[in-house]
Amino acid sequence: MIATPHPGRARRSVGFVPLAWRNLLANKPRLLRSSGGIGFAVLLMLMQLGFERAFFNASLEVIRLLDGDIFLQRASKYRFATRDPFAARDLETARAVAGVASAWPLYAAWHELFWRNPTDGKDFLVRVFAFDPDHPILPLPELDANLKELSDLDTAIVDRGARRFLGMDPQPSAAELSGSKVKIIGSFALGPDFENDGTVVVGDRTFAKLLPNPRGGAPDVELGVIKLTPGSDSLTMQRAIAAVVPTGVAVLTKAQLLELERKFQADVSSAGPIFVMGTLVGFIVGMLIAYQIIYTDVSEQQPQYATMKAMGYRTRYLVQVVLEQATLSAFAGWVPAVLVSILLFRIIGGVALLPLHMTVELALVSLLLTLSMCLISAVLAVRRVVSADPAEVF
Amino acid sequence: MNFALAWRILTHDKGRTALAVAGVFLAIVLVFVQLGFFIAVPRGGMLLYDRTRFDLLVASTAYEYQVQPGAFPLSQLDRAKTAPEVALAAPLYFGSAKWRSGEDGKAPDVFVIGLDPQDPIFDSEDIHRQLSLLNRPDTILVDSATRPMFGPLTAGRVVEIESDKLMIGGDYVLGTGFMGLGVILISAKNFVRLFPFRNLDQVNLGLIQLKPRVDPDRAAASLRNLLGGDIRVFTRPELEAHETAYWTTRTSVGLLFGSGLIISFIVGVMVVYQILATLVGRQLPQFATLKAVGYGDRFLVGTVITMALLIVLTSFFPALAAAVGVYAVIRDETLLPVEMSGARIAAVFAATLAMAAASALLSMSSLRRADPADLFG
Repeated sequence: MIATPHPGRARRSVGFVPLAWRNLLANKPRLLRSSGGIGFAVLLMLMQLGFERAFFNASLEVIRLLDGDIFLQRASKYRFATRDPFAARDLETARAVAGVASAWPLYAAWHELFWRNPTDGKDFLVRVFAFDPDHPILPLPELDANLKELSDLDTAIVDRGARRFLGMDPQPSAAELSGSKVKIIGSFALGPDFENDGTVVVGDRTFAKLLPNPRGGAPDVELGVIKLTPGSDSLTMQRAIAAVVPTGVAVLTKAQLLELERKFQADVSSAGPIFVMGTLVGFIVGMLIAYQIIYTDVSEQQPQYATMKAMGYRTRYLVQVVLEQATLSAFAGWVPAVLVSILLFRIIGGVALLPLHMTVELALVSLLLTLSMCLISAVLAVRRVVSADPAEVF
Repeated sequence: MNFALAWRILTHDKGRTALAVAGVFLAIVLVFVQLGFFIAVPRGGMLLYDRTRFDLLVASTAYEYQVQPGAFPLSQLDRAKTAPEVALAAPLYFGSAKWRSGEDGKAPDVFVIGLDPQDPIFDSEDIHRQLSLLNRPDTILVDSATRPMFGPLTAGRVVEIESDKLMIGGDYVLGTGFMGLGVILISAKNFVRLFPFRNLDQVNLGLIQLKPRVDPDRAAASLRNLLGGDIRVFTRPELEAHETAYWTTRTSVGLLFGSGLIISFIVGVMVVYQILATLVGRQLPQFATLKAVGYGDRFLVGTVITMALLIVLTSFFPALAAAVGVYAVIRDETLLPVEMSGARIAAVFAATLAMAAASALLSMSSLRRADPADLFG
C-alpha cells in the first residue's frame, strides 16, 4: 500500500477502515479460509444456543398461550407439566373476590392418559388439556374446529403438529383415549416439546369421565385461569385473592408462572448445562481459530507494519488496524454463519418439530460472542505488531 | 525421508508447532464433548439396565422404552421360570408418585421401583446388602442422585409419598437416568400399598437370569415359544439397540446432538486445515526449492500428510486426558452417565485421522502454488 510520509495527514487520507479492509481483501483465498474457520465456530455456538432456546421455549409455549392475568395452582406444584390439582371450590372462592372478571379451570394430564393411534392401534402417552368449551382459556394456535361440539361427551381435538407416529395428521375421525372411544372434531397446530409427543384437547365433561375425581364430584383443577376487570391492579388483586384461598393454593402472575417453569428447567434439567457447555467449547475453539488467523496475518504483514513504524506511524494506530481487521473478520464469519443457521434451524426444526428460530436476540448474542472471540484473539496476537522493529525490515 | 522432513519442519519453529498442537487438541476435545452428549442420552436411558444383572428382559408387546414399558401378567413370568434354561425370573414394578416432603413445600414426582428384596438383580453389592431393609414395613431406599429438591436423603427420615408415610432406610448409588428427578426402591408388598390401584399380578418388566453356559439367543428363542405372541423377549444387545433407537430417532435428542456432532467435526477440520495451511504457507519457498531440485509433487504431498498426522497424534493423547476430565464435569452437571469407553476413543481417533486427512487434502491447493519460479520473483 502507498502511504504519505506524513502520519497525521496519512491517518486522515487512509481513513478509519480502508487499511484493515485492504489487508483483509488482499488475499482472497485466505479470507475465504478465515471466514470459513470463524464461521463454523460461530455456527456451532449458534446451533447450541438455538437448541437451548428451543428447549426452554418449547416448555414455556403453552403457559404463554394461556389467556389469563392471575393463576391459581396447588402450592406444591413444582413445574407446569406434572399433575398436582387443587379442589374446584378454591377457584370458586377466588371468583367471588371483587375485581375478578372471570375464573375458569384448566384440567390437564401429562403422564396419565394414552392415545391409541387409529391407524396401527399402538398406544402412546399423550398430553391432554381440558376446559369448559364455553370458556376457552387456552387459545390454541391455528384452531380448526367448532368448540361448541367439544361440549358433547367423548369428543376431542387433536394436534396436527404432533409427532407422526401418533397418527393425528391427517386428522382421524375417531380414536381411543385410555380405552374410551372419542370422536375427533377438529385440529390445531401446537407441536411436541422435549417431553410430550403430542396433545389432545377435550371438554371438561369428557375429562371428568377419563380421569374421574376419586372423591367424587367435579374434577380437581390443574390451573385456575383468572381474568381481572379492566383497570384493576394485578399485584393488589394477587394479594386479595391469596388472602381468601387456602395456603395450599399458590396465586401467581403470568410472569411468576413462567419464571417458576424457567427456573425448574434451568436448575433441574440436563439440557441447560449441555448446551451452555457446547457453546463454551465452540467459543474457545472459535477463539483459537481467530487467534491462528490473526496471528498468521500479523506475522505476514510484519515487514509492512515495521515499515509503517519506521515512517512514523504510532503503535497505537497499528494496533487499531489489527483490531479493526479482527472486527471485520468477525463479521465475515458471523454473517454466513447466521445465514446457514437460519437454513439449518428450518431443516432441523422441521424434522424434530421443535421451535428452532433465528431471533434478533440470538443474532445479537452470537454477534457479541463472535466479536469478543475475535477481539480477545486480536489483543493476544497484536503483541507482534507492538514488537515490530523497523530495523528488522532489513 | 518424508518423516524426517516433516519432523524437521515441525521442530524448526517450536512455538508455532505448539500453537498448532494446542489448536488440534481443542478440536479433538470438542469432538469428544459432542460425542459424549450424543451418547449420554441413550446411555442415560439404559442406566437401570446397565447396572442390573440379567440375560433376558421380558416385557409386554406394548413396551416403548424403559419408563413406558407396558404391563403383562405375572403368570407369564412364572411360566418362564419353569423353562430349564432359566435360573431366576424377577418381576419389576414401576410407578410414579408425588413426594410430598420436598423443599419449599413442593411435591416433586418420584419414580418408584417395586421389587422382591430377595432377588439378587443388582450389580452393586452395596445395594444387595441394603435390600433386606425393604422387608421392614414402609421402608424405602433412595437413589443418591435424587435431586436436592427432595430434601435430605438421610436414613431414618420419614417422608410422605402420596398419602403414605415412609421411612428412608438408606441411599444407594445407581443413578436416576431418565427415570425421573428422584428414584426409590420399595418391596413389591409395600409397592401395592403405595399404589392401591395396582396389583402384583400385572408386572412391568421381568428380568431373567440364565443358568451358566446357556446361550442367551437360544434361550430367548425358546422363551418366545413358551410365552407366546403377547410377550416380548429381549436379549441384552437387542435391548440396547431398541433403547438407542428410541432415544436417537423417536425423540429429538438424536437429531440435536447428531447435528452438534457433525458441526463439531467440521470445526475440527477447519482448525486443522487452518493450522496446516499456515504451516505450508510459511514453508512455501522451501517446498518450491525442493521442487526445483527435482522432488515430485507426491513427495511434498506425503510430507504434508505426515505433518498433519504428527500434529494430530501429538494432540490426541493430551486431548483424551482432558476429555476424561471434561466428562467428569458433565457427569456432575447433568447426572448423565458420560463415560469414556474404548469404542468412543476409537471413534474419535478415527474422526481425528479423518480430520487430518481432510485438512491435508484441503491444503494441497496451497502446496501446488509452490512454484520454483516464484523463488526469484
